[in-house]
Amino acid sequence: MNREELDNKLSEIRNKLTGIEHTTDKRIYLLCESENAYDVCKFLFEEVGTRFVIASGVDAEKRFEVLYHFAYDSLGAVITVKASIRNHENPAIESIAPFLPGAEWIEREIHDLLGIEITNHPNMKRLILADDWPEGVYPLRKEMDAKLADGWRCKTSSRPPVRPASGRKVPLGKPVLPVGPFHPLQEEMEFFQLTVDGEIVTDIDMRISYNHRGMEKISESLQFDQVPYLVSRICGICSASHPLAYVQAVEEIAGIEPPERALYVRTIINELERIHSHLLWVGLAGHFIGYDTVFMWAWKYREPVLDLLEEITGNRNNYGNVKVGGCREDIPDELIPKLLKELDKLENKTEMLTKAVLDDPVLHARLKGIGILKNKDAIDYAVTGPTARGSDVPIDVRRDDPYAAYGLLDWKVITQPEGDVFAKAVVRLLETLESIKIVREALQKLPKGPVTVEVKEIPPGEGCGHAEAPRGETFHYVRSDGGNRPVRHKMRAPSFVNVPSFRASCIGGHIADVTLTLASVDPCYSCTERLAVVDGRGKVVHDYDVLLRMSREKTAQIQKDLGWPGLKLEDPEIG
Amino acid sequence: MTEALTDIFWVLIFPGFLFTGIVGLVASYIVRKVSALVQWRVGPPVRQPLTDILKLLGKETLIPEEANRPVFMAAPLVGFAGVLLLSTLLWVTAFWPDKAFVGDIIVAIYLMVLPSLALILGSSASASPHAAIGTSREMKLVLGYELPLVLAIIVVIIKSGGQLSLAAIAQQAPVLSISGMLAFLVSILCIQAKLGFIPFDMAEAETELGSGVYMEYSGGLLAVWKLMQAIMLVALPMFIVTVFMGGFGASGLPLVWGILKYVLVLVLVILIKNTNPRVRIDHAMKFFWVYCGLILFIAVCLATIGSAWNINWL
Amino acid sequence: MSWKIKALKKSPWVFHVNTGACNNCDIEIVNCLTPKFDVERLGIKLVGSPRHADALLVTGVVTAQAAPRLREVYRQTPKPCAVFCIGACACATGIFNSGYHVVGPVDKIIRELDPNAIIAYVPGCPPKPEAIISGVVQALSAI
Repeated sequence: MNREELDNKLSEIRNKLTGIEHTTDKRIYLLCESENAYDVCKFLFEEVGTRFVIASGVDAEKRFEVLYHFAYDSLGAVITVKASIRNHENPAIESIAPFLPGAEWIEREIHDLLGIEITNHPNMKRLILADDWPEGVYPLRKEMDAKLADGWRCKTSSRPPVRPASGRKVPLGKPVLPVGPFHPLQEEMEFFQLTVDGEIVTDIDMRISYNHRGMEKISESLQFDQVPYLVSRICGICSASHPLAYVQAVEEIAGIEPPERALYVRTIINELERIHSHLLWVGLAGHFIGYDTVFMWAWKYREPVLDLLEEITGNRNNYGNVKVGGCREDIPDELIPKLLKELDKLENKTEMLTKAVLDDPVLHARLKGIGILKNKDAIDYAVTGPTARGSDVPIDVRRDDPYAAYGLLDWKVITQPEGDVFAKAVVRLLETLESIKIVREALQKLPKGPVTVEVKEIPPGEGCGHAEAPRGETFHYVRSDGGNRPVRHKMRAPSFVNVPSFRASCIGGHIADVTLTLASVDPCYSCTERLAVVDGRGKVVHDYDVLLRMSREKTAQIQKDLGWPGLKLEDPEIG
Repeated sequence: MTEALTDIFWVLIFPGFLFTGIVGLVASYIVRKVSALVQWRVGPPVRQPLTDILKLLGKETLIPEEANRPVFMAAPLVGFAGVLLLSTLLWVTAFWPDKAFVGDIIVAIYLMVLPSLALILGSSASASPHAAIGTSREMKLVLGYELPLVLAIIVVIIKSGGQLSLAAIAQQAPVLSISGMLAFLVSILCIQAKLGFIPFDMAEAETELGSGVYMEYSGGLLAVWKLMQAIMLVALPMFIVTVFMGGFGASGLPLVWGILKYVLVLVLVILIKNTNPRVRIDHAMKFFWVYCGLILFIAVCLATIGSAWNINWL
Repeated sequence: MSWKIKALKKSPWVFHVNTGACNNCDIEIVNCLTPKFDVERLGIKLVGSPRHADALLVTGVVTAQAAPRLREVYRQTPKPCAVFCIGACACATGIFNSGYHVVGPVDKIIRELDPNAIIAYVPGCPPKPEAIISGVVQALSAI
């Protein structure tokens, strides 16, 4: 649909709305009351055909608001349903998870952090706060501000951790230590718990809370220009994309246009990050299937990219290069020939690796048909990034809603139709090659000029910024009231929507493929270590290491059946 | 009296504990260094295996509360004792063949099972679900390879005309015949599994994964396990050399030749370790029972025919 | 210097604990294994069980969910052992100091359990692999 048709379509639901606002031509806000939110969201998802991004819960003093953000990718528009909950004492809203499984997690989070009751939710359990978090304390409510300023900190009990399945406890304080439920490798079993029937996975449940540092709350206490430092530490390897998305949201509120050179510099840093992130993934995938040589090799060739980034920004990760209004540091022109030379070498090695992977029959047999995420599931779970593009969902923020310099450069979006692990591997490898081309073009076309504009004030308003991180879309929603700090800052990392889709791709598959399927989603490294298999009665049958071993054994068996000696990787630099 | 003292000297100093221990540590170093070089890395220095063991001896030993204490503590010692006696036996056969006794090959086979048995006992006494998984895999693995190993030795016994003495068997080199070569190849793979190397290390995985049968052990007990592994690296290839390749000489050229044969077996083990990924336990069992069993069945037939009609190359 | 300590310095086996980090430090730790840095030369080995470990490499601010696990891991590591706080978050929580789910830097949690614990700090965000290796080696030499 084009813009006119979209507006006409939206007017069909006008009777359920209390208002429609446009902050820019690509940001539409549909205001409604909480009772109608379910119908409006259903309409947007099913009739208009948008993609669910995330939901932001806001405590707006006298009322609560839940903002459901939907993306209309063919126009690059973000349509937000702003549902107002007037009842501040007992806020409640109906769950949209029944028709939108991708919203399940965020509704649990909103319940945990804001205390809004979500009715009809299929699986309302604690998601994001610790097991022993006190009841009735909702961190994102404004009443917590005073407590936190007073120095309130959460205390943890000194009881030993309890495994949810068995619930047995053993006392502390003896020279001979207990084993069993508190085994440190079992501590992670709360992350993912798979139920199996023989060798086939029948269900999984997930628990996240380890990395929850309360960043959204911390962001409200920082000034606008301090937030990029916070936000680049959401995830170490998407650390250029998060600040970029945030900064774009704020620039949208203030109507700031960064200078052209800044757009190119931002593009170059982001693409370099994509290259080393995909190489990291290739190494890890090799490790999971038992090709440790690929692991060592891929990580060895990440190093030159990290060195380049260090020369440009001063750090191998966490660049701190983006600010509201442009970039903090420029790429010195003397550095450009060196960068181009390194890129040529890198392109050579990556092409070799891609060819080796695409031609290897063992990898074909091992990775094809495993962990298939069907196109419909990809849409229902609202996945993004290579996970989506590998299932023939052709979304890429860089093309749909061009930011930085992507609209000015010539590049392709890579998709594959099969949806299995092999397809995702192909997407990532080809994207790495594409990224090298983008960086090269950007370096050659780098315009002269300043790299930042001065920013005086951020007026009241709200903005949505998104960027394509290596794992998918990062989305930041910022609301300002004219002061120095954000009133509300919602951050969404791509893994938040990609990891739950693990359910759809893993159920019905074999245990030996579990680590690989999770890895193909490319969650943050620590997420993949939290994996265990339980049988119907809750007894741990396999843990992560065993699953890893099974994965590698399956590869070895395939190798034997095909009589293939292994990947040949030449390294002419080493003798 | 002197007889007893000599025996103690043999077991503890030379060629027993001290001597074999040092050779075993050097062998572990070689294995780690070669693996590192294959991955474009530099690898550890020569003293590393010894330093590892010394360090472990200096740490406190933690025993899980729910573990079966006596079995947990005795298991590594039993395994260690078994493998030490085995190596002493083999050295004695090499250097003092007249001291060997008839039937010592049967003793050797029994002693070879001890380390695996000790591992199973120790990890099942650990009362940890992780170790339990490792235990069940180790048990299945032992069930898998013991039979082919015994069959391979039977081939050699047949070829030597029914001799049950290691010294007598060591006089010939069965590997130079077809049945002997088949038995040799199968027993290399059985040794690979017994040593716990890739592709058969599913009970204790590589260092990065690290869980499994050894998981609950720490400090001094872990040091004993490590030492046992090091000595196995000497004892098991030596067993192969003695039984299949014509043994060690006592001195001079035969000794050098014997050392080269040992190094060859070690190199084969390292090569197999570095060029293969891990195998699944049920595939491993199928491999040992079906494929190896079949090969050895053929070998036994060939050996029987060969010794009946005096055809040496069969 | 006793032989125990001497052997410990030449063969420090490490166990990695993530108590709520952004993964940068974790990736830099794994980088130490790769050919460019190769810590096996120094006898350092990454083990899979804290019972085999001589040093804990702890990353991350300690979140409320991770704190009990960190305590358990420390108790299950045979002494003598050293705790290395890798990265600014582990050393002193850094920007997450005011977080409601943050229980405090690593040394606070460890000292509650064992006032005599040996703790070393490797700051950085993230510390480069060279810094991590240098920190571990220096701390061991100082024992």
